[in-house]
Amino acid sequence: MATLPTPASAGVDLPPDLQNELRTFDAAGRDVSLYDLLGIAPDADGATVRRAYLDRSRRYHPDAWFRKNVGEFGPLLSRVFQKHAAAYQILSDEDARAAYDRTLSQRVSQRDREALERRALGREEQERRQREGRERLLRTKGFARIGAARRLYEEALELAEGGERAQAIAGLKAARELDPRRAEIAQKLAEVEQEAARSRSLLAFKGAREQEEKGDFAAALKIYRQSLEMDPTNAGAAAAAARCATMLGDTQQASLLAARAVELAPDDVETRFLLANAFVTLGLKVKARAELKRVLDAKSDHKEARALLKRV
Amino acid sequence: MAEPVIGIDLGTTNSVVATVQSGTPVVIPNRSGYRLTPSVIAVAKNGKRLVGALARRQAVTNAERTVVSVKRLMGRKWSSRSTQDALARLPYTVVPHDKERDDLLIQLGESTYSPPEISAMVLAELRLDAEAFLGQKVTKAVVTVPAYFNDSQRNATKDAGRIAGLDVIRIINEPTSASLAYGFGKQIGEKQICVFDLGGGTFDFTVLHMYKGVFEVQATGGDSLLGGDDFDNRVVDWLAQPFLEKHGLDLRKDKMSLQRLRDAAEKAKCELSSTQQVEINLPFIASKQPAGPLHLQGSLTRPQLEVLTRDLVDRCLSVCERVMAEAKVKPTQLGDVLLVGGQTRMPLIQARVRQMFGREPSKSVNPDEAVALGAAIQGAMLLHPQQEMLLLDVTPHSLGIAIAGGFFQSILPKNTTVPTSAHHVFTTVKDDQTSAKITVLQGESEIATQNELLGEFMLTGLRKAKRGEVDIDVIFDISADGIVSVSALDVKTGLRQSITVTASSGLTEEEIKTAAKANEEWMLGQKEHPEFQKHKARAEEIFKQFDELWPRLQQTAANGLGKEPMQRAEAALSLARLQVQQKESAGLLASLERLELMLGALRGAVERGLVAPRGDRS
Repeated sequence: MATLPTPASAGVDLPPDLQNELRTFDAAGRDVSLYDLLGIAPDADGATVRRAYLDRSRRYHPDAWFRKNVGEFGPLLSRVFQKHAAAYQILSDEDARAAYDRTLSQRVSQRDREALERRALGREEQERRQREGRERLLRTKGFARIGAARRLYEEALELAEGGERAQAIAGLKAARELDPRRAEIAQKLAEVEQEAARSRSLLAFKGAREQEEKGDFAAALKIYRQSLEMDPTNAGAAAAAARCATMLGDTQQASLLAARAVELAPDDVETRFLLANAFVTLGLKVKARAELKRVLDAKSDHKEARALLKRV
Repeated sequence: MAEPVIGIDLGTTNSVVATVQSGTPVVIPNRSGYRLTPSVIAVAKNGKRLVGALARRQAVTNAERTVVSVKRLMGRKWSSRSTQDALARLPYTVVPHDKERDDLLIQLGESTYSPPEISAMVLAELRLDAEAFLGQKVTKAVVTVPAYFNDSQRNATKDAGRIAGLDVIRIINEPTSASLAYGFGKQIGEKQICVFDLGGGTFDFTVLHMYKGVFEVQATGGDSLLGGDDFDNRVVDWLAQPFLEKHGLDLRKDKMSLQRLRDAAEKAKCELSSTQQVEINLPFIASKQPAGPLHLQGSLTRPQLEVLTRDLVDRCLSVCERVMAEAKVKPTQLGDVLLVGGQTRMPLIQARVRQMFGREPSKSVNPDEAVALGAAIQGAMLLHPQQEMLLLDVTPHSLGIAIAGGFFQSILPKNTTVPTSAHHVFTTVKDDQTSAKITVLQGESEIATQNELLGEFMLTGLRKAKRGEVDIDVIFDISADGIVSVSALDVKTGLRQSITVTASSGLTEEEIKTAAKANEEWMLGQKEHPEFQKHKARAEEIFKQFDELWPRLQQTAANGLGKEPMQRAEAALSLARLQVQQKESAGLLASLERLELMLGALRGAVERGLVAPRGDRS
């Protein structure tokens, strides 16, 4: 990272080198990777990530300079600390870090890519070892199979609790094969799979939201739909997708998505109103009237709905 | 000398004040010499305000004019369920106040007070204790709150501090504070610990990571309506229910009987931490009965108490499980378990904790004092930063807004490190829309109304344009105190939008100032008092010493000293006695100094047989 030679501000109690660091970090855009921000290698393990973050906090947390004259650097300190905290939030979470690594690998240097690959390999190696362990257990015979299933099941519970969902799912699948009659295994498997889907869906939802806020509705719509596919019960994604489709003028698609959204969340008055609007545009007056009535049933003071109902 | 800063654990039942003195955290004893001050306020029959042990002692005979557990009402709305539940158990009168704000007032004697004003009375008392102990004015404080306190409760606590004339430089979470006391002065490289904090009114569980003096809270959670009081209530019900069935009289309905029951229940509960069985004896518990007075007698065993309260302990442990899952940690991975809060002395809790974590809970912190000590350490860390420690705390609740359909959209998830901020873009939905309402909430429910309302904000003066063309970026900031502030910008023009708070339970600036002024006057009235008390105690001591010396002095006088020194001493003594009676603090001090000189000289004369008293220079 290049340090900009900016003159230190007088009358401020912060050391000049800190002032420069703050300016540099504050100016750092998205091209500075989270690893560079925390000053660690892309294959750093969890403990290293944490230590880097805590060491940085000691320097950049506003409390470290409490009641000091920080002048213009007050807001800067807060922003720089929050940048580090946000980076740590992502890199300390397995799933979020893997997702970040994927976006990062497209634009990093050869050296960093190698480090990222090493980390991915490390993860794969660990998974391979666990897989082999499971396969060994699968070869057990007779009564031993039940015991092996239980062991796998318990291990999977721990993995699921620790957030290692992919591993937990693999373990549960193996356990189910060993002892297909045990209902709780199948039940837990369904539960964890749904959780995983929900978490993926949520991650996609957040990405879509960013696109939507930037005004790229086409991109947002695509990711919202993916989010909905991953978790078909995600009413928020359906409603948001319907919103984007409306913005893009694709009324047909908007009506389908909105219908799905209100089916999932019947109390969502605004999406129902959006659905009614779409029906009106598509010329489906009977359907539109039915939806508008339901809007007014839920919220009798909805003025736009009342006006639209009068019109149709 | 550096500016003093105190740490205050403002508890539901007891409060503690501490400070850091020459690098060591110490608990400040109150002016009666105790380290715990009951968080009780009363107005005596003669109209005098009583605080702490004095107030607590007269609670039974003056239940209606005594306020206990006010912490349970801090920052609460009148209509909320938690308030109504709490009211059923409180022996004093609480009335609704402002309809718009949905807040409440406490009736105390002839006046009514808001919960922050009552808390301020406890804080002011602790401040006086600290000033007497340190011998100088104290204005800076760190005050602790349960980690699970929401924004309104934190603001109410901060208001209480301001009313008590304290500059609350930081509000910190109780379990985090306790961990500071635990980590202070220890050479800990890296360690993960948890704090199990069951106080009088709230339960908190926190997982922390410690690394080279940085305390990083990983996850926190709790139940703001689960505490030692609930254990007491179980015993109260256990006592009152059979009585009701037998005599058709509900003792819980009578404020005086209820207070006696509560006292007895608490005492029994505490004793059962060290014994297996206690006798409960409440004679004349109902004295105004037509059939003559009724008495209540019973005996409670430890296993019985455990059956009565088992589900409360289960509730605590399920919170622990949830928080550990959020922190992605297993019970056996934790390097230490701290027990904080008086209720953790219960053997059942210790046993269940041992079972869950597979280790003996740490004994290195005092469950009553750790929180206040930690607050004092945090205060010293902030103001005198030679302490190489840093606290990274988190928000205990998700922060978000109400969206279409009555749903809650989270903007800042819980367990985010503070300070933090997030923003959200709002768009106009009508042509020429000039204002918009934003409802800010805190909680985890998907349904907006099930979360705690922080406030409603009105964005006003928006520029006129077609709908969807005005984008307003609303920025939510959470400070290191866990307190939320909201600001807004027009995205296109970059202009700051004005925001007005239309619903908030907090006190207004005006109300805080008025209350602060009233408190200041009260404190001035108290100020002379402790000083005079000190002189009076010294006078009593001197009188006693003269009395003891008198017979031998008479002998010495007869041996040739003469009567004059004795007559002069007698005159000085009677003057001092008069000054004690008339509470003349300054005059008494001068007399005492003279008397001490005389005493020294006369004692010398007695020892030597006879010599003219040298110290007698009046």
